[in-house]
Amino acid sequence: MTRRALKAWLLSAVVFATLTAPVSAKEDEVSIGVVAPLTGDQAYIGIGVQQGAQLAVEDANVKGPVFGNTRLKLLSMDDQHNPTQAVLAANKLIANPDALGVVGHFNSSCSKAASSIYHEGRMAQVSPASTNPDISKQGFDTFFRVCATDDVQAPAAANFVASKLGLKKIAVLDDQTTYGKGLANEFEKKFKALGGTVLRHDGIKQGEKDFTPLLTKIKSLGPELIFYGGVYPEMALLIKQSRKMGLEVPWMGGDGIYDVSLIRLATPELSEGTYATMLGVDPHSLPEAKDFVARYEARYGEIGSFSAYAYDAANVLIEAIRRAGTRDRETVLNQVRSTKDFPGVLGVINFDAKGDAIGKSISIFKIENGKFKFIEEVKPEVANPPAG
Amino acid sequence: MAAFELFLQQLINGLTIGMLYALIALGYTMVYGVLQLINFAHGEVFMAGAYLALSAIWITTAAFAGAPVFVVLLSLFVLSIAGCALLGAVIEKVAYKPLRGSPKLTVLITSIGVSFFLQNAVMLIYGSKEQGVPEILPPTQFAFGNVSFSLLQAVIFSVSLALMVLLNWFIKHTLLGKAMRALAENPEAASLMGIPVNAVIRMTFVIGSALAAVAGALFALNYGSINFHDGYLAGLKAFTAAVLGGIGSMPGAMLGGLFLGVFEGLAAGYISSEWKDVFAFILLVVVLIFKPSGLRGENIPEKV
Repeated sequence: MTRRALKAWLLSAVVFATLTAPVSAKEDEVSIGVVAPLTGDQAYIGIGVQQGAQLAVEDANVKGPVFGNTRLKLLSMDDQHNPTQAVLAANKLIANPDALGVVGHFNSSCSKAASSIYHEGRMAQVSPASTNPDISKQGFDTFFRVCATDDVQAPAAANFVASKLGLKKIAVLDDQTTYGKGLANEFEKKFKALGGTVLRHDGIKQGEKDFTPLLTKIKSLGPELIFYGGVYPEMALLIKQSRKMGLEVPWMGGDGIYDVSLIRLATPELSEGTYATMLGVDPHSLPEAKDFVARYEARYGEIGSFSAYAYDAANVLIEAIRRAGTRDRETVLNQVRSTKDFPGVLGVINFDAKGDAIGKSISIFKIENGKFKFIEEVKPEVANPPAG
Repeated sequence: MAAFELFLQQLINGLTIGMLYALIALGYTMVYGVLQLINFAHGEVFMAGAYLALSAIWITTAAFAGAPVFVVLLSLFVLSIAGCALLGAVIEKVAYKPLRGSPKLTVLITSIGVSFFLQNAVMLIYGSKEQGVPEILPPTQFAFGNVSFSLLQAVIFSVSLALMVLLNWFIKHTLLGKAMRALAENPEAASLMGIPVNAVIRMTFVIGSALAAVAGALFALNYGSINFHDGYLAGLKAFTAAVLGGIGSMPGAMLGGLFLGVFEGLAAGYISSEWKDVFAFILLVVVLIFKPSGLRGENIPEKV
């Protein structure tokens, strides 16, 4: 570009900006963010979260302006399942004066890393799925979640293995993420407290494919069950590789493995008998969620494991913004905190002082004939588990 | 299981993944030989090979229901080798050839760009979810006492070994192989001797990519689920293997791959699976301290 052309271009850009500036003063638009892994290795879950939030925002706009003449907009951001990216996204959101709250993040590692940024920006953060108990123990009054935590989930699983299945010797694996390791540690703690023996607790690496050396060693120890803290792609590989080497004991995992894709990848025959705990209950089985599930699946296809959570999280935020009736973040935050008996599609939502959802039960499933079969529902032992 | 049997089993586990590392490492080392370029997109070519193999299974089983195993196997190798060879040639032509003569760092960064491009292209085409690969081979196991290996592992061993022997012969005894070696030794002199440098470079990419395709196809069959992200870790490991063996040296790449696979397997089996990558990289550092040019590398100063 010649210097003259550049000058002319700059001039016209300035003129254009001046002319359009008053029009784009968005006095009639506020937004909520949704941050999840939209690309990268966990894009398959993140996209389901984003779609859940998208549907909530569209529903809200059908109902009318959130307050006055103000419409709602969704800002989708990608954290790539990477805490560094999560912090970048959080900084971008708090720098945007239109953004009043955020649905996210998905991964515990990302939610935890970003939580201090939202706290600084006084922005309400409602996570749909980050179950690591430590996140809400940091003392940030901006953090909320609509799912149960791993100190409810993992003990429920341990109890089931020790009491219902009556097993004594197990092995524990995790994928060394904030979520997986947290879940596996809580499981191990409870299982030992119940008098069980943990033969080994090993970590694997997410994205790794070959676990035969580790499984060969575990096989030689002869456990009665193997618990895995992690997500389904590695679980599928672990199941397949263990079965091929003749290690026939059942596997168990948490909400991260509760996905029909597990059965597809590990094949129905090999995954038969695998146990999974899931937060709350399957949205397909809830009458309250029927309408949501039908509309979601008509629009996007098969519902993701956490889409309904994202829908609920977004709706909690949207309702808080409606009640606040202002674009002041602190007021919105107060309204989120005073959420009472919010009718989510996955059940009633109330928050305790730490921002954790109260009374979220855990379900235990077992894979039978290529399907997750509901075994039992575990109510939280106390309304809110003691810290620690 | 007796301790010795356990050890043998871990050795077999390690050799299986080591064979795949070796096949991929060959591509890194060959390209480095002719261009002094670490082609970071090579791991993605391997991943594309896995996806092409999966596509071939879909196509053959859809077109000829109940096609015999042999036909499916043949079609998946043919499609993934042909596809990746073409991909390798296109990458070289579009991304690297225009940069011939520019600083090495420019080309290196371009290769990282190509790698991102391929990853995201595959994600857009095949979706971001893990794709399951149907089992084609019967799940036959050969057992000797408590030590066992599968039919597929036998296929991986024999195919990889055959390819390595073939490649060795090819490099030593064919005209093109000699041209590659000449180019690696002194590009300027080679071009003065009438060696068509560009054509030889293109063929190097084609052969390297074809080897990665075979590794990708075997990988897809062995693990039964693939992801657009798989090229990253496998590529990183294979690159480590190539450096371990002495980058630029073909026997070195093979040796490095097997060595790394076995070492990793033993580290995961006997020490800790959390630390296996740490041990793999400690091995690399230790080898480079005592043999800076790798296990089989020649000592040529002034390379990356």
